[in-house]
Amino acid sequence: MNRLRAQAGSALALGLALLLGVFGATAEPARAQAVGASGVIQTPTDYWFAGTRLTFDRAQYRAGRLAVATDDSGLARFLGKLGATLAYQPGQKYVVITTGDRRAVAFVVGDPRFEIAGTAQTAGFAPYVSGSAAYLPFADLARALYVVPILDGDATVLQPQIAALDVRQVGRVTTVTVRGASPLHFKRTSADGDDRVTLAFTGISSTLEPPRDVAGAALNGVTISASGTPRNPTTTVSFDVAPNANRMLVPGESANALSIAFAPAGVALVGTPIPAVGEATVATVPVVQPAEPTLANAAPTAAQATPAVPASGPTPTALGLATATVSNVDADPEGDGLSVLVSISGPVTYEWHRLSDNRWYVDLKPATLSIDPQEIPVTSDAVQSLRVKGFVGPSDHLPTVRVAMTLATPRIVNLAATSDGLTIAVDRLDDLAPLHSGLGEVADGKLVASIVPLPAVLAPAKGDAAQPPAPTAWKFGAPLAAGTNPRLIVLDPGHGGSDDGAMHNGLVEKDLNIDVARRVKALLTARGWLVKMTRETDVDVFAPNDSAHDELQARCDVANQAGARLFISIHTNSFTTSELSGTTTYYYKSDSYGLADAVHARLAASLPTADDGIRKENFYVIHHTTAPAILVEMAFLSNPGDAQLLKTDAFLQKIAVGIANGVGDYATPGAPVSSNGSAAAE
Amino acid sequence: MRTLRTLAGVALLAVIAFVAYRYFAPRASSPGVTIPVYYAKLDGETLAKWDVSVNPNARDADSVAFYATAQAVAGPPPDVTAIRFPSGTIVRSTHVSGSTATVDLGGTVAHEQSGSFAESGEFKALVWTLTALPGVDAVDVKVDGARVATLPGGHLELDEPLTRTSW
Repeated sequence: MNRLRAQAGSALALGLALLLGVFGATAEPARAQAVGASGVIQTPTDYWFAGTRLTFDRAQYRAGRLAVATDDSGLARFLGKLGATLAYQPGQKYVVITTGDRRAVAFVVGDPRFEIAGTAQTAGFAPYVSGSAAYLPFADLARALYVVPILDGDATVLQPQIAALDVRQVGRVTTVTVRGASPLHFKRTSADGDDRVTLAFTGISSTLEPPRDVAGAALNGVTISASGTPRNPTTTVSFDVAPNANRMLVPGESANALSIAFAPAGVALVGTPIPAVGEATVATVPVVQPAEPTLANAAPTAAQATPAVPASGPTPTALGLATATVSNVDADPEGDGLSVLVSISGPVTYEWHRLSDNRWYVDLKPATLSIDPQEIPVTSDAVQSLRVKGFVGPSDHLPTVRVAMTLATPRIVNLAATSDGLTIAVDRLDDLAPLHSGLGEVADGKLVASIVPLPAVLAPAKGDAAQPPAPTAWKFGAPLAAGTNPRLIVLDPGHGGSDDGAMHNGLVEKDLNIDVARRVKALLTARGWLVKMTRETDVDVFAPNDSAHDELQARCDVANQAGARLFISIHTNSFTTSELSGTTTYYYKSDSYGLADAVHARLAASLPTADDGIRKENFYVIHHTTAPAILVEMAFLSNPGDAQLLKTDAFLQKIAVGIANGVGDYATPGAPVSSNGSAAAE
Repeated sequence: MRTLRTLAGVALLAVIAFVAYRYFAPRASSPGVTIPVYYAKLDGETLAKWDVSVNPNARDADSVAFYATAQAVAGPPPDVTAIRFPSGTIVRSTHVSGSTATVDLGGTVAHEQSGSFAESGEFKALVWTLTALPGVDAVDVKVDGARVATLPGGHLELDEPLTRTSW
């Protein structure tokens, strides 16, 4: 009996043990689910950020790592403090976070790879969807935002970092830009007049290499050091300044950036004085304000009902430059067009507009006019009149020289730098887009166009007597890839040289591709972009009869080595039978969908060909270029109807205008990329 | 005793006959063994399939994959409108290793250009066909025995294995 009891007891104990074991094994997930349902998850470590505890109310664990939902309030607070925004809609595959300095961090549901401004990275786990939210690998997201998780006892401190220190030299002016993960707060810790300017950035750390030599006329070096505790870090940046050099704060492109300009004694700088010792401040950023009513925009007609011109403030590149002198303006006929030579003594920024009534002007600043304001005689069918005058900018108070023309027709106008200044070339080709504008810099014989598109300017009611349009505030369009030239577009006319491409109906693909690419180049250049072509003539890019790999990689290399902002490959399609027709735009990388969408929308709206849509394909050239890249198949050579269209100038020009307009749409704030243009990608 | 030996001999012969039958008889003789072969419709996106009986001589994974590749490259019956590999394309070999099928193509496809649209449809169908085979989830493409970046047309990237998620 005792034995029986003992056996029964053992069996009971075993059963209990098994039962406990089962419950024990499931206890953690059960708790996690219950906690998740109640709204707050007790994370195994406390997360601290910017001095406060960060509580995630929609978090889970995946592969032992924290996964945070796109609608988590803690994540929203974290992103908000960094100046970042998140775009995700249920059912979509992509989650795009746009950082405070306009970089895009793109996650793809189900794929551990993610992209930071076009650079591929691998996360600890693939984002996944649960309910109406996507769950993201938080540690990887934080690092992409220049925030490093650091263990501090039992807590995890999310420590923002100084991400970059950029040094830029224009003429004798050196501008240093400090870029941080979050808005920069700093105070001066060394007295003005010393050979050293030292700024202490509070609440932010840095792992950048400490010393950096700078061969500037007024700045010899920069030293960076980090100190403090994980929760209260401080980064100190010291500038080794030449004796008696001028130094000014100039507005950065976001609150996460601080720019300081240095120039030798005698070179004037425009900006804000560096605060006195001990005085704390924050990085400044141009403020976007509603436009003041002016003659230019006071009462738009219904036909002119474009958005109000936003922003009133100087282009930051104009700040920090010494004032140049415009000493001469000459005009020479050139073919059917006109070439205008403007002599300028030093670096200037330029901003041009073409108004809807065919008036065109460029403002050069900071610059003064050393000749009398005047009308320059011209003998050209392309230009009716040419004028030059000087004035002080009404909103930025910078000395400005304006060269203005009245065009006979809406011609393309190209700008090019010369050793003496600037050439304004009025092209023989018409530009059919209604309104254009652009800006950039001319310095040291080089012209660097900015990608920043300007808002449309309404025609002034009264000729040149009207107030000049308010210049736009500095703003970015599509996010910039790391290490890229934000002003450069590479156009890739498909095939060429020993490779004819497809041939049907008396048409040769390589010839059509370069014809349209040249038209696109003319349009984009006129709109302020710097454009490079993988081939300018009928040649192989790598070598005649080379392998597909060498040829295609050479095309990618052109874009990658130049740090192109965008890459557009232009092709003409073909098929074994004649029945297929239409226009298709291809993309491959998630960061390219926005560009494909913008360009294809314009093409589909303007071309008479069938709309074959936007497609994702692993085509070599749009895969191996770092920049957002698309491949446009204009039409089918093999289709008689499409071929007939491809034989007309009007159709080819329409394609070019469509591509150029699409690029313009993409580079506008609020364009598809920043609002997650990949929405309809899949 | 003699009866026992006779019975044992008969049993042995029966076993030998059964084994020989199992070895030599074509697997496909089993009724209903088919594989799906895909083709791309002219919209370039939609895939359709038709079922083909497994080649009676295809006994191993390589043989079945080779047979499937040949069917996909040949395309559906002529009266079906489809995106097809260029006429004269040949399948040099197909080899399955792990979960990857390596296809070696030659003939017309190695030197004749087709547009991006056709390339995409051709290889999409091929990849769908081969990844429908058990255990295959990627397709490595070679042309004339060599790895290539793309076909002469210079469009679809072929130097990385293609999967169904490539599209």
